[in-house]
Amino acid sequence: MAGDNTDGLYHKERTGSLRQPADLWAKQLFSRRLIFVMGKGGVGKTTISVALGKAAARDKKKVLLLEIGDTGTIGNIFNKKVLPEVPLKLSSNIWGARVNPKAELAAYTNAYVNSGFIANRIVKSRLFDYLAEATPGLKEVMSLGCIWRWEKKKKEQLENAFDLIIVDAPATGHALSLLRLPDLLINMIRVGPLVAQIRRLQNLFKDHRKTCILLVTLAEELPVNEAMEFYCLAEDELHMPVAATFINCVYPVLFDKDEVRQIKRMKDQFEANLPNPHHVILETALRQINRRNIQQTYIDRIRAKTTGHVREIPFYFTNDLTLIHIEELL
Amino acid sequence: MINRISDPDGPKIIVCCGSGGVGKTTLSAAIGLYGALSGKKTIVLTIDPARRLADSLGLKDFNVDAQRVPLEQLSDIPRPFEGQLYAMMLDAKRTFDNLIFRHAPADLTKNIFKNRYYQHLSNNMAGSHEYMAMEKLYEIYHQDKYDLIVLDTPPSRRALDFLEAPGKLLNLLGHNFFLKMFRPYLHAGRLGMRVFNILAYPVLRAVGKVIGKQVLEDLAGFMQLWNDVLFEGFSRRAETVKTLLSGNMTLFLAIATPQHLPMTEAVFLYEKLSRNNMPFGGFIINRVHVLENQELFDTDRHGMAEFFNKKSIDDRLAEKLGITFNNYMKMSESDAHAINDLINKIGSNVDILQIPVAEGEIAHLNDLVRLSRMF
Repeated sequence: MAGDNTDGLYHKERTGSLRQPADLWAKQLFSRRLIFVMGKGGVGKTTISVALGKAAARDKKKVLLLEIGDTGTIGNIFNKKVLPEVPLKLSSNIWGARVNPKAELAAYTNAYVNSGFIANRIVKSRLFDYLAEATPGLKEVMSLGCIWRWEKKKKEQLENAFDLIIVDAPATGHALSLLRLPDLLINMIRVGPLVAQIRRLQNLFKDHRKTCILLVTLAEELPVNEAMEFYCLAEDELHMPVAATFINCVYPVLFDKDEVRQIKRMKDQFEANLPNPHHVILETALRQINRRNIQQTYIDRIRAKTTGHVREIPFYFTNDLTLIHIEELL
Repeated sequence: MINRISDPDGPKIIVCCGSGGVGKTTLSAAIGLYGALSGKKTIVLTIDPARRLADSLGLKDFNVDAQRVPLEQLSDIPRPFEGQLYAMMLDAKRTFDNLIFRHAPADLTKNIFKNRYYQHLSNNMAGSHEYMAMEKLYEIYHQDKYDLIVLDTPPSRRALDFLEAPGKLLNLLGHNFFLKMFRPYLHAGRLGMRVFNILAYPVLRAVGKVIGKQVLEDLAGFMQLWNDVLFEGFSRRAETVKTLLSGNMTLFLAIATPQHLPMTEAVFLYEKLSRNNMPFGGFIINRVHVLENQELFDTDRHGMAEFFNKKSIDDRLAEKLGITFNNYMKMSESDAHAINDLINKIGSNVDILQIPVAEGEIAHLNDLVRLSRMF
């Protein structure tokens, strides 16, 4: 983006920026405690999570970015390795940590089994691995437990408490089972210390003032189909409606109708005797126009379906967004 | 690499791996079509095709049988040709259920379906989709009805989950240790068994305290069913599939787009396969912004501006055309950069096929034919 004059045109379509302090929507969003960023694989969840973190940090919030699993994508953006399990300061007002379900389960077992000897034997046994892998959702609930622990710190006014926790969720399928989990587990386990804990978690998730889901999608068939299904699931099954949708990689609208006609005419007119580079220029423009039109049909579908906020994120024409770009996204 | 598919002695199984969102399903279909057009009776096993792709393949919802793809609809291919194309949608839950129906005694199936571990495992557990893909591959390979099988692997962040998940699942369900642990507490009878006295064993008691006794009982029940009924067959088939996939009948393809994550995953797959001596066919880099005649663009800028001026295009439009083109250039440079990185990592003697970004969506069989011409 640097150095060329496209900025003005990119931003033409946008309906405002989170940078404006008066942006009520952003204020509301960042007054939440917990944000889940969801979406199909490859749509840019991590990028949006980081952009949100940056925007919230500008709004003076102390932000924790949580990554589930060990893909290391958040760390990568900040030029760091895979994030540790204890929050690491990434930039001004932003910390990052990785959720490691097994470590969490071990900690939990240690806390609930009185005998340290037995707790240790459990944690080291193959049975433990087994249970962690095979028990429906045990791993996920431990991820949730970790999220919950960070949330709790604030309430108890502990030091290193965070104002806002942004969870860069795994791809939709897995993320869904994560959020479905409290209900499932309560039904499955029924009694015991875990159940009480899960109930508290469930209350936090379903409190719309505290928790919300943001959906990231591309203006393409598969991600949008998945988004459509997800809106219904989120509302009817999870009772956690999608507060906002970010449509990522939206091409700019550069040409008005007249100009498109003009370009087409030129191409037809000069098809035969147009020197090669000129021809390619017109062709490239038409391709991008076509692409944008296709995107629009998907953007319209999203807008027609969701009751939440919709924001289009411009495409930056690069495979490697840097932190500087990401800061500018929102 | 892919053109080896048309060779009569070419590979019989193509496995398409890659992270989510790179166009694996579409490319698998195109590869299948390529096989069919080269005269082979081909089947594509696919996971979750886009609606319109599924429509054009003639795939109906909720149908898990092999369905014939109506190739007679194709407009511009040489005729007559011998090949046939079939497509089949994979469904984890149903594949598991079918296995149980087929292999478990009738009086036990009800117990299995009712077991909450089974319910969860068959549809949700990491690895079950991958396992199911392997089961299906085994089944179809041994039917010996097709010359070529193209397997579109489940979307996973780690491209290799596909290979490892079944093993993991098997380990997990591996009987020895678990049953040894539970046997003293199990009822002798196979039907409707309950776990007795689990709490007499200190470790189990403690575990029960943490995650609930009910959970342990369910798990033990499931393990027993699994062990009595299914384990042997499952592990035998998994072994066979593994052998099959390591042999020279098979070709793995790594599919990616030029972004950081998919490329990293593709390289990861390549390295893993090389380490395990498994047959790697090459990389397919999808949606590449190709720049033809690059040298022309650098020199002709001024000429172009003049040209557009002479055609009395107003400055604003000329400027916008310039921006559009710059954007494309920027994107193609970024893509070229990513592909160079790949070459630097893997060396120049591994095949890399670049598929240019499509102008519109690939929704019709004829689009797939166009795509398959690039192989």
